[in-house]
Amino acid sequence: MSNSIFKQNYFEIFSQPVSTELDIDLLKEKNRELQQQVHPDRFANSSDAEKRQAMQITSLVNEAFETLKNSLTRLQYMLTLKGVDMNGETDTAMDGVFLMEQMELREEIANVDSQKNSLDVLDEMALELKARSVNLVSDFESAFNDDALDKGRDIVRKLQFINKAQIEINDKIEQIEDEFI
Amino acid sequence: MALLQISEPGQSTKPHEHKFAIGIDLGTTNSLVASVRSGQPDTLPNSSGEHLLPSVVQYTPDAIVVGAVAKKNQIEDPHNTISSIKRLMGRGADDLISQFESLSEVLPFEFAVTDSAVAKIKTVAGDKAAVEVSADILKVLKLRGEQSLGDKLEGAVITVPAYFDDAQRQATKDAATLAGLNVLRLLNEPTAAAVAYGLDTGAEGIVAVYDLGGGTFDISIMQLKKGVFEVLSTGGDSALGGDDFDHAIAEWILKQANINSRNLTASLLRLVLSEACKAKEALSKLEQVEINIQFANDNSWTGLLSRDELSSLIDPLIKKSLMSCRRALRDAGVEKNQILDVVMVGGSTRALRVREQVGQFFETDPRVDIDPDRVVAIGAAIQANALVGNDSDGNLLLMDVLPLSLGIETMGGLAEKIISRNTPIPVSRAQEFTTYKDGQTAMAVHVVQGERELVDDCRSLAKFELRGFPSHVAGAARIRVTFQVDADGLLSVTAKEEVSGVVASVEVKPSYGLQDSEIEEMLKASMAFAGEDKDARSLREQQVEADRVLEAIDSAVADDGDEMLSQDERETIQAARSELMIARHNAVETQQLKEAMAKLEKASAEYVARRMNASVQKSMAGHQVEEFNK
Repeated sequence: MSNSIFKQNYFEIFSQPVSTELDIDLLKEKNRELQQQVHPDRFANSSDAEKRQAMQITSLVNEAFETLKNSLTRLQYMLTLKGVDMNGETDTAMDGVFLMEQMELREEIANVDSQKNSLDVLDEMALELKARSVNLVSDFESAFNDDALDKGRDIVRKLQFINKAQIEINDKIEQIEDEFI
Repeated sequence: MALLQISEPGQSTKPHEHKFAIGIDLGTTNSLVASVRSGQPDTLPNSSGEHLLPSVVQYTPDAIVVGAVAKKNQIEDPHNTISSIKRLMGRGADDLISQFESLSEVLPFEFAVTDSAVAKIKTVAGDKAAVEVSADILKVLKLRGEQSLGDKLEGAVITVPAYFDDAQRQATKDAATLAGLNVLRLLNEPTAAAVAYGLDTGAEGIVAVYDLGGGTFDISIMQLKKGVFEVLSTGGDSALGGDDFDHAIAEWILKQANINSRNLTASLLRLVLSEACKAKEALSKLEQVEINIQFANDNSWTGLLSRDELSSLIDPLIKKSLMSCRRALRDAGVEKNQILDVVMVGGSTRALRVREQVGQFFETDPRVDIDPDRVVAIGAAIQANALVGNDSDGNLLLMDVLPLSLGIETMGGLAEKIISRNTPIPVSRAQEFTTYKDGQTAMAVHVVQGERELVDDCRSLAKFELRGFPSHVAGAARIRVTFQVDADGLLSVTAKEEVSGVVASVEVKPSYGLQDSEIEEMLKASMAFAGEDKDARSLREQQVEADRVLEAIDSAVADDGDEMLSQDERETIQAARSELMIARHNAVETQQLKEAMAKLEKASAEYVARRMNASVQKSMAGHQVEEFNK
C-alpha cells in the first residue's frame, strides 16, 4: 500500500509544507476538496467494508484538519514529527518568571467582577495574550528550523499556559454575557 | 462497491436508474415525509391532502390510530393517547423523575414500572416504550411514501435535533428499524434545513440556522460553499421548545384560576394545555386573546392573555436559546457581522416574540420566508436522493460535527473529555489505560456525554467491561480504547491490550438504550414483517448484495486490474470470486453467502485500498497552491 494516506503526515495529507505559517483558508479549501472524495456519504451504496474504510479515512482527515487548524496543536504536532512527544511528559520545569506572571494573570481573571464594563478589561487581556502567542509562534518557527527542539518544547509549554488563560477569559466573558443577555 | 467503481468525479458509473428514497422529519408535534420527484423535492400529502402528520398515537385494544384523529381523541382518552413522544426518546425511567419533574406533572401519561432501563407508558394495548410509539408514527409515513411513489423504498434519511445525544440518536435509529425502514443516514435538522435553504437561494457564506420546534431547540452555524454544507458549530437544548411555551401558559392559566394542577384529571390537564397552545398561536396575529375553560360543571374560568403577558412568560425560555446561540458563535469563531442570513426553522419560530428577540440578538432581520414546518423534511429528501445515487452533479456534501463532548469517568467521579464538542465527524480517538493492581485482567469503563465536569452531571451512555487481557504487574498493561463516532453521530467502542495484542471483549450496557434482546422482542411483536418469511427475505437481500459485489469486482478488475494487481493477487481474488458465485446460486442459508462475501472482501481489501488511494491522489494531484489562493 504505497503512498497510503495512513502513512502520510498531516501536512502531506493537505499537500502543505511543514510550517507554523499555514494558510488556514487554503487548508479549509483543501479539506473540503478531500472530503468530497472520501466522506462516508460518498459510499452510501457500497459494501460494509468500504463504508468502514471510508469512515476511517475521513476520521483521519478530520483529525489532521483539526490538529493543523489550531496553532497550539499544530506546533505540538510539528514536534512529534521530529520525535518529541509532549503527551504525558513528566519533566515540565519552566521559566520561573513566566510562571509567576501566569499565576498573577489567572488570579486577575478570577477576580474580575461580573459587571458589564468588565468585558472591556477581559477583551484587552485577550488581545495582549494573542499578541504574545503570535510572537511565541514566530520564535518557534526559527527554533524548529534550527532543530533547537528543547527550545521549541519550552515555547509550546508557554503557549499551553497562554491557551488555558485564554479559555478562562472566554469562560468569564461568556458568563458575564449570559447574565446580561 | 462504489470504491471499486471509482470514476471521474461528477460522472456516474451506470446509465441513470432512478431509485426511490424519502426524507422524514420526525417532529415533536408534527411529522412529515418528503421525496424528490422529477428533480423537484416536496413533502408528500396523505389522501385528504394533508402534509403534516400530528405526532400523536392513540392505542385502543384493537387498533393503533396515528395523526389528526388521535390528536382529536387526546382529551377524551388521555392515558392511551401519546403526544410529544420525541421528548422521551433515549431517556431513562429515572430521568423522568429528575429532569422532567415539572414536565411529568403536566404529562398525562402513566409510566409503567418495568425492569427495562427505558421508560414505558401504560396503555390499554400494553406498555409502550418511546421507540415503539415513534415506530408507529414512522410506519404511517413509510406507507405514505410507498403509496405516493408507487414503488419499493430504497431507504430513508431521518432527521434528529443536532443537539440529540448518542442515546437519543440510537433510539431514533431503533425506531426506524422497528418500522422496517432502511436508514440511509440520521441527519441533523438544522443541517437539513440549510440544504433546502442553500439549494433554493443559491446563497454562499456563513449562515445561522435557528431551529425551535415543539420540543427541541438547535442552533447551527454553517458555511455554505459550492454544494458543501459544513457545520462549524452547533448548540442547543434537547428539552426546549414550543411545548414549554404551552406549559408556561398552562401554568399561568392554572395560577390565574387558582387551581392546583395536582387536583386536575388527565383530561382537564390535556384541555388546559390545548387551550394554552391555541392562545399562543392566536397571539401571532392578535394583540390579546380570551381564554375560556370549563373545569367542572360549576367551575369555569375566563381570562385575557395579552401579547406582553405572553412575552413575559416565554422570555426566560427564549433567553436560554440565545445563550446557546452565543456559545455556538464562539465555538465557530464567527462574529455576528459575518452572518449572511439567520434562517428560522420550526413551528415555534412563528411566535413574534421569538423573531423579535432573535433579530435583536443577531442584529439582523431573520429570514422567515421559508416554510418553517416543511424545510427540514425537504432537506432530508434532497440528501436521501443524493445518497441513493440519484444526484447527477454529485457535489452535495454535508459535513457535520459532534454536538456534545464524549468522555469517560475517571477517579473521583470526574469526566475526562476524549472528544470535545463541535469536532467534525466521523472522528476516531484512542485513549490508553493501565491497570492499578497486580494481576488485574479486567477493567470497567464508563462512557459519558456532556460538557460538565462531574460524571453525575453528564449523560451516562454506556458502561463497558474490558475482560480477558493477560495478567501483568500494576501499570504494565496498556489497554487502548478507541472511540469511533460515525457520520450519524453514533458512538462505537473497541479495546485492545497493546502489550499482548489481545483484543479485549467489550461488553456494552447501554445506560438508557434498549438492549438488543428488547429490540428483537419488539420486532417480533411488531407487524412489520408479518406474513413474510424472515429467513427467505434476508437470503434474498444477501443475494442482491452478492450480485452487487460480483459486478463491482468484475468491473474494477476489468478497469485497472492489469496495472494494480500482481498475478498472485489476481488469482486470490478470482478464487474468492468463484466461491461467491457458487454460493450466490446454491446457498440456502444466509450465513454461507455472508461468509463467501466476507472472504472476497478480505481478498480484495488491499486492492480496494489501493484504488481509493489512487483516486485520492488523482484528485489532489495537478492542483497548484496558487489555484486555491484565488
